[in-house]
Amino acid sequence: MTRLDPAALDRDGALEEARAKLTRTQLLGAGLTATGALLALPRRAWAAQLSKTDTDVLNYALSLEYLQAAFYTESERSKAITGKAGQAARTVGAVERAHVDAFLGLLGKKAIKRPRFDFQGVTEDKRAFLKTAVAFEDLAVAAYKGQAIRIESPAVVSAALGIHTVEARHAAWMRHLNGIQPAANAFDEPDSKQEVLKLVADTGFVVAAPRMKAKRKPGYTG
Amino acid sequence: MRRRATSALAIVLAAGLAAVALSRTGDPRERLAESDPRGALPPAAQPALAITAPRPLPAERHLTRWAPLRRSVVARARPAAGARRVTLLRRLTPEGTEHPVPVLGRAAGRDGRSWLRVRLPVLPNGTTGWIPRRAAGQYILIRHRLVIDRARLRLTLLRRGEPVFAARVGIGEDRWPTPAGEYLVRNRLHGYDSPMYGPVAFGTSARSPTLTDWPAGGFVGIHGTDRPDLIPGRVSHGCIRLRNADILRLAKLMPIGTPVTIR
Repeated sequence: MTRLDPAALDRDGALEEARAKLTRTQLLGAGLTATGALLALPRRAWAAQLSKTDTDVLNYALSLEYLQAAFYTESERSKAITGKAGQAARTVGAVERAHVDAFLGLLGKKAIKRPRFDFQGVTEDKRAFLKTAVAFEDLAVAAYKGQAIRIESPAVVSAALGIHTVEARHAAWMRHLNGIQPAANAFDEPDSKQEVLKLVADTGFVVAAPRMKAKRKPGYTG
Repeated sequence: MRRRATSALAIVLAAGLAAVALSRTGDPRERLAESDPRGALPPAAQPALAITAPRPLPAERHLTRWAPLRRSVVARARPAAGARRVTLLRRLTPEGTEHPVPVLGRAAGRDGRSWLRVRLPVLPNGTTGWIPRRAAGQYILIRHRLVIDRARLRLTLLRRGEPVFAARVGIGEDRWPTPAGEYLVRNRLHGYDSPMYGPVAFGTSARSPTLTDWPAGGFVGIHGTDRPDLIPGRVSHGCIRLRNADILRLAKLMPIGTPVTIR
């Protein structure tokens, strides 16, 4: 079973490129966003101020954001999901990519690399897409809820809640599109990190890099 | 008489309840202040993240994609299980690496399954076919393209349409021509002891139209050489030869799966 492995490789260097771009932006002085002791630090220095627990929680959240962003991005690129579902995929995808950018900006060099994903055609089939989208959004909502009490910094709690509510809106939207009651329960249950990672691993969507290099003599025409 | 008294009592009670309710729906700010009379609740914490605006996908003109095969699969002439068989694609290349196929398009078959149109590594070069989506793995996106100009004996690596590397090359002699067309870099071999291929060799999906009985299928490679004095020139059996310093530089820049245009 493939785990959502933080050490998984960045597929084509795009992540490194995005990170470098973010860093350049930060160096240009776009690092301050709000008040407070932590917030007064240049964004570049935030990663150093984060506690180990908060760094772990943020990287865990980032792994889920990678998953969601990759899912909607692949769906949009496939152009196979049209109509209201396609519109939702474009909108939600743009938000999930913004979440990834935000986590990368906050974590800096402590950010985990993007895993590789194989969605096995789910992004190209409307019914399968919506079903998976509901599962992902519900999972994200439960995952954020599950980590809320572990976070130590109020600023990080505030950030996580800001994303948690957006994920809940996404969940309701995808549920509605899939014909499921958006808000059926009076209370939602949290999911532990172990539960979430097991669910993600069970999908088989997180994969290793294909083996495209070999140490052997070529048999090409020469 | 009794009924009239009961009604009057009910009206009085309702009026009283309404008055109480109204008294509680006054200025919301006052009610909020009442909930925290000493101002004991702290202000809301500012978020640690700089949440940017949603980021739409940029339109990218130079994006191609490929996927490794999950299993050996028959490529068919149409997106249907009963369509004419074009060829059998094996999961591994003759070099033992995973087999990448360039994805050109997709379609839903009559059976409801998703199919991919892929370019096939068979003669005649340029042949395409359809495989079930589930036979292919993760999509891998590429922003590079390698262009081999046979007339100018020049190789150029592009990234997002911009040249990032260029070198003079050796190509096939007239009797063993390097075939024109659209192909893919399939794998990268290294650590072998064969000076004629230089330190690094890339395999492509191009096949020699003349050396059809060549061991391992007659695939065209891109590799170094032990005869740099012959470059540039029409000197090979169809492979694209570079000076060793150039192939090492190319190996640092070019990802597997890069599309190759030979013209």
